[in-house]
Amino acid sequence: MTRRNFLRSAAVAGTTSRLFGFAPLRGAALPREQKTVVVTFGGGARDEETFAPEGQENIPHLMKELIPQATFCTQVVNHGILGHYVATASLATGVYERFDNFADIAPKNPTVFEYLRKGLGRPANDAWVIAPSNGFNRIGQSDGTLFAPGLGAQVILPKHLLASALGKASTNPGALEFLLQDNYEDLLFTPPAVQSDVQLSKLTEMLHLSVDDFAHHARTLSSADELSVYVMRQLMRQFAPSLLWITLHDMDIAHTGAYSLYLEGIRRTDRLCAEIWQMIESDPEYKGRTTMLILPDFGRDSDFSASGNGFQHHRTGDPLSRTTWMLAMGPHIRQNVTVDRPLDSIDLVPTLGAMRNFATPLAKGKPIVEVL
Amino acid sequence: MDPRNLRAESFARYPPQARAFAAANLDVLKRMPLILLSLTLRQVIQYDWSFPAERQQLQLQFDLLKRMDAASLDTLMAPFSSIPLSEELAKLDWVDHPQQFTEQLTAYLWSQHQIDNYHTIAQEHQQHLQKVPGQLPTPTPRWTIVVVGRGSPQPAQPLFRRLRPHGTLFTQLDPADGLDTLLAEASSRARQHPLPYGHWYIDGGEPHAAAAADQSLTVMSYDRLAPVAKQEFALLNRFTNRKSSGPVGVEAISSYIAGLSPEDVGLNGTAADAPLRHFEVNLLTQGAGCQIYSTTFVQWASRECLHRAQPLTLFARFATRQSNAPMEQLLARDPLQQPQDAPGSLVDADMGAYYTWINQSRLAGADQSRFLVWFEGHSLACAISPTLARGTVSTAPATMQQLLQWMRS
Repeated sequence: MTRRNFLRSAAVAGTTSRLFGFAPLRGAALPREQKTVVVTFGGGARDEETFAPEGQENIPHLMKELIPQATFCTQVVNHGILGHYVATASLATGVYERFDNFADIAPKNPTVFEYLRKGLGRPANDAWVIAPSNGFNRIGQSDGTLFAPGLGAQVILPKHLLASALGKASTNPGALEFLLQDNYEDLLFTPPAVQSDVQLSKLTEMLHLSVDDFAHHARTLSSADELSVYVMRQLMRQFAPSLLWITLHDMDIAHTGAYSLYLEGIRRTDRLCAEIWQMIESDPEYKGRTTMLILPDFGRDSDFSASGNGFQHHRTGDPLSRTTWMLAMGPHIRQNVTVDRPLDSIDLVPTLGAMRNFATPLAKGKPIVEVL
Repeated sequence: MDPRNLRAESFARYPPQARAFAAANLDVLKRMPLILLSLTLRQVIQYDWSFPAERQQLQLQFDLLKRMDAASLDTLMAPFSSIPLSEELAKLDWVDHPQQFTEQLTAYLWSQHQIDNYHTIAQEHQQHLQKVPGQLPTPTPRWTIVVVGRGSPQPAQPLFRRLRPHGTLFTQLDPADGLDTLLAEASSRARQHPLPYGHWYIDGGEPHAAAAADQSLTVMSYDRLAPVAKQEFALLNRFTNRKSSGPVGVEAISSYIAGLSPEDVGLNGTAADAPLRHFEVNLLTQGAGCQIYSTTFVQWASRECLHRAQPLTLFARFATRQSNAPMEQLLARDPLQQPQDAPGSLVDADMGAYYTWINQSRLAGADQSRFLVWFEGHSLACAISPTLARGTVSTAPATMQQLLQWMRS
């Protein structure tokens, strides 16, 4: 079965009433103010463990709840560097960035957050990034060489927030260390700390998070990604930003070579994606006017690539490691539609620009017309 | 340095046999583009600790290159020359530190969007070299036996789903004496076809007593190497916490780890077992996750063993691995004294068995190779052999001895 065919089968399996072809728009008119939530997986996921027939058991929520409401793009190809920070930065700029994945560097090209804030004249609290690890702290704003500084997104690193809270709370910090798991890409490398205590205090204050409540709630969570989604909920309540970008990365535990833990990460991510959509649909500020886009940053190596070790890494640059998918859903997105033509990862930014009506002049990709 | 300026003295810091090998093949080395040269020198500098199969392969490749006329050799090398390199890269000490050079090269190729082009060129080159004449057929078909599930309960999902299409699934195997029978088979093969590093036993826990006592098998185990991994982490901590230096980058860490010797991590021995000790250090310094999870260790060690030693017999036995924890804890604690994730370990081992079969399939004589995976202590096994049907299920009662016999003929 070709990749295209099995992904088609995924779309068919996810629906009972509609097949392919363009379905009518669900709403007659667009809401006055749109919001956008972008969910990326900063741990590559392969088709085999997700939308391929043998992988569909790992993603019941995507299959049964989200796909039937979504336009599903079956071939999104990442032609850039397959490291999570640099690849996610490329998704956010619409240009394949070339910097060292492990360096503390801002993207060279303007980010979608800067385009949005400049183009729509939005305040700082209208664009937020919830990022998985230290290395992502510079993703909110470009380095200033191509765009005036000061228009970036606020970046929140939930694990830093929790670590700071644990330092001040009465809760036993040792019990929550599992929520602080950082970078999996190089197990022996820990990026330098990036947010000062002052910034962290400001963030907790802005989010109206009691340190003790935050630490207490963290005890009910089972992973770093759950912590990110919890922080996302707080952000939605406090600021209701119109552009919210969250990167999940539990599944990147695949780098340890433990297949069972990789699958566990995918299953958790699947559940969290559904929870995020439920959060959107149950929040009056977001319900009915939010477009959600979900896409892995890239895949992982093929089992049959001799220079790799299968699911464990994403080092070969083989087609499986470069090819992934995107799911779009929201009031102006056609439901239960499959887009089979190859798309490029950097098409995301111009698509967001076209959706929200702001210019993205330096982005290299092209708008995905099927979701506009 | 320009590769054309290489001289025998350039390799003065190489170990003795590597130095002699480089000198003997200097003319070919001088004609290689830097990208290919650095990759080749990574192999040459390890020559003294290479397995016999690796030495033979390297020698055959150089013999082939030496026999080529100038025009043909230039044509073969041309694709590597077509990839432009930065001045910074060319200035690196690629003679004495080819490993570090290739790490920098990889980062550079990614940054220049040349990695796909490079992989294509490298694969085509590899395919060309695999046609090298002179390789003798194996004296007997290669066998790989994988045992999974020690200490694990019945799985929630069916086992061996990926392997079933390629062989016969046996569902009524008598598990009695199964392990002893399989070990006896491995030992018997080692005695019949004695070869240095030709018959391996790799265990995710403590090795079975019979295997440990068998001098004809090369034996590795996670339990024995876990303290070595701890020593590696201790050295790494010391390196990254040096007060005199600033922040330590990922490249510096990689280079430091790559430079560790067996003695650095407490693996002392004799010259005779140097290839094994260097192999073990390479596993622990270049593999990801095999230091902390025994399941990853067995999978990665089997992969590298098949790739490098090309054994006639590989016996790989998975055990349970420690439960997941934050990386800081995993790197600091003793993996042998932790709660075990038995169900997860079986899922890992099932995938590990599949990868081991794939890796065996890449070796010469794959069409005659045999592969057996058994759920230890249970009646389920999957056997892949030219003597057995593919994609079928056998529900007939059978002993392990019978199964082995069916796989032979």
